[in-house]
Amino acid sequence: MNSLQSIRLIAGREISERLHGRATWILTGITTVGAVALIVGPTLFNMPTKPYAVGLVGPSAQTLAPTLRAAAKASGIGMTTMNVSDDATARSELTPTQTSGLGSGQGPLSSLRGGSATLDVALTLDTGSATIEFYQAVSPTLAAVLRAVVEEVHQRDVLTQAGVSPSVVGAAQTPEQISTVTLKPASSDLAGRRIAALAAGILLFFTLGIFGTAVASGVAQEKTSRTAEVLLAAVTPRDLMTGKVVGIGLMGFAQMAVTIAAALVANAIVQSSLVPSEVWVLLPAILLWFVLGYTLFAFGYAAAGAMVARQEEVQSVSAPFTVFLVGGYLLMYATIASPDAPWIRIASYVPPLMPALMPARLAVGQVAIWETPLAVLIMLASIYGMARLAGRIYATSLVRGGPRLSWLAALTR
Amino acid sequence: MLEISELYQRFGDRVAVDKLSLAVNGGEIVGLVGRNGAGKTTTMRAVMGIYRPLGGSITWSGHPVALSDRLRFGYMPEERGLYPQMRVLDQIAYFARLHGVELAAARRDAQKWLTRLGLEGRELDLVVALSHGNQQRVQLAVALVYQPELLVLDEPFAGLDPSAVDSLSEVLRAETARGTAVLFSSHQLDLVERLCDRVVILDQGKVLASGTLDELRTRSPQRLRIKVAGSADWTANLKGVEVISKDPLGVLIAVTPGMDTQAVLRQAMAAGLVEEFGLETGGLVELYRQLVSN
Repeated sequence: MNSLQSIRLIAGREISERLHGRATWILTGITTVGAVALIVGPTLFNMPTKPYAVGLVGPSAQTLAPTLRAAAKASGIGMTTMNVSDDATARSELTPTQTSGLGSGQGPLSSLRGGSATLDVALTLDTGSATIEFYQAVSPTLAAVLRAVVEEVHQRDVLTQAGVSPSVVGAAQTPEQISTVTLKPASSDLAGRRIAALAAGILLFFTLGIFGTAVASGVAQEKTSRTAEVLLAAVTPRDLMTGKVVGIGLMGFAQMAVTIAAALVANAIVQSSLVPSEVWVLLPAILLWFVLGYTLFAFGYAAAGAMVARQEEVQSVSAPFTVFLVGGYLLMYATIASPDAPWIRIASYVPPLMPALMPARLAVGQVAIWETPLAVLIMLASIYGMARLAGRIYATSLVRGGPRLSWLAALTR
Repeated sequence: MLEISELYQRFGDRVAVDKLSLAVNGGEIVGLVGRNGAGKTTTMRAVMGIYRPLGGSITWSGHPVALSDRLRFGYMPEERGLYPQMRVLDQIAYFARLHGVELAAARRDAQKWLTRLGLEGRELDLVVALSHGNQQRVQLAVALVYQPELLVLDEPFAGLDPSAVDSLSEVLRAETARGTAVLFSSHQLDLVERLCDRVVILDQGKVLASGTLDELRTRSPQRLRIKVAGSADWTANLKGVEVISKDPLGVLIAVTPGMDTQAVLRQAMAAGLVEEFGLETGGLVELYRQLVSN
């Protein structure tokens, strides 16, 4: 029986125990259903954006209907126009009501609005003045479109009345070709990348927390039930710890893979526009940092589990690792907001923060080609150091009776 | 042969085992007795490699015990160590596999031991669902399933009912007949006396006495049993004599060096009809009490 065989057997038992346990299936079910629901739900229930309803009060305004609709289309907003006979009716149609059908009810939207107003905005044109009326607030884009159209029509009328030929007026009002040049192009889809970074961070935070704690609880259970004593008669503490870390890690990886695979399949089926393509581009980074982050934290959690006297002490003795996990999670938000800030770049090289910050930087920031290999090397060295330190604590604490050890006592024994 | 030589172990300021030496031969049962904290469990844990002793040596067949040797040692700790949420058969087979047994053989042997220890039909039960006694049987099966050459059993009889004690005793005898060396500890001295070929009495980490039961009996204090018909209180006039007990079976008197037993007999005869008069050798219990009280 060599080391590898021992580790394989111990890891196999961990996997088998978790496969037989209901908690594993419940957790996998919840995360998978949650991920699928997040993708499928909005797609199934997402209503198309309602076009703005613009009431045109009086004959002058009503002549603008085609121009307004064309301008709205050019600006990328939906718009319907409705003719309104007078100002009083317009005000009534602008006021939200509890029942539908109040006002003219002419528009196709009146039956859909329910308790809201029939009109979003009303436009009145008088000689020399125009009024844009709304109930409480109006979309700035819609207001800008209305204002531009009114001004354009006003200029055309004034120039035409001054004897300028309509063709000249038309030419004057047609803008020249305008080109835009961006000096520092933003990411092709920054919003999408931010969502991707956020999803990666949340996924890593929960999986590292759940499976790290599972390692600590498993070790504590073996210690408090004295099973460790029987095991250590046949295997070395290092193999026992490694087998447990590997077994629980493989289960965690499999559970995460199932969740991601279900999300991928759901996305392929519904073709959700809400899921940015960057999420899938980030997958290798998520998996890489899960493996590295889990290994680092799991050894620490294993040492913590070996120090307890009672199972209930697992949470408190694991607190240092939980602090780093939560710290990394919170810093991830700062990373998404300003990924290239110098302090973020430095923090992203602190080993316990790397799993949270590196994928976020990759998603939204500028990461030089040498940075990921360097980060991985630092992480591997940290894992080696943590494994050695945890191995020492684990070996001396696992069969020790008496009260819970402090970290200082465990390290100096 | 297991040989422990000058074993020394300390926890903080407390010396748990102080230059302890003992040996266990193949086919022999050696009993470790002593009060709580005497050093029995520490000695056994050191043999199983759970502690690395601060001093002394532990050898198996002449060489220091290594992990490869311990794979052929069966161990039953004082506090039972089983996975509570694991099925009985799977658990025994798992420990067999950790000791190098192939999967099919591990499951076959696990089933064999379950049957032999009276747990047939409980193979698929979780360990946590078993009674204390049955969990103890599973723990014993875990120690026996890979045919160990040395059995180290810490309080294996604690909490067992009489039939389970008989069953375990039978198993231990069968194992020694196979050539297995057995080192076990117990507070049940009558059991130790009945089962062991040799006994080691420990106190405060040191060996107070060791040897075969016959050797130890010679060190045990002798007693005089006298039964006088109809008289219960004839010993009142005995001078310089320690009366150990009085009961319907007679009076027990400690025999001390230079004591005139004939004078005692004469006094008994003066008191009435002497129905019984003879020397008894004390058992392990008496020797243990004498050594530990000193």
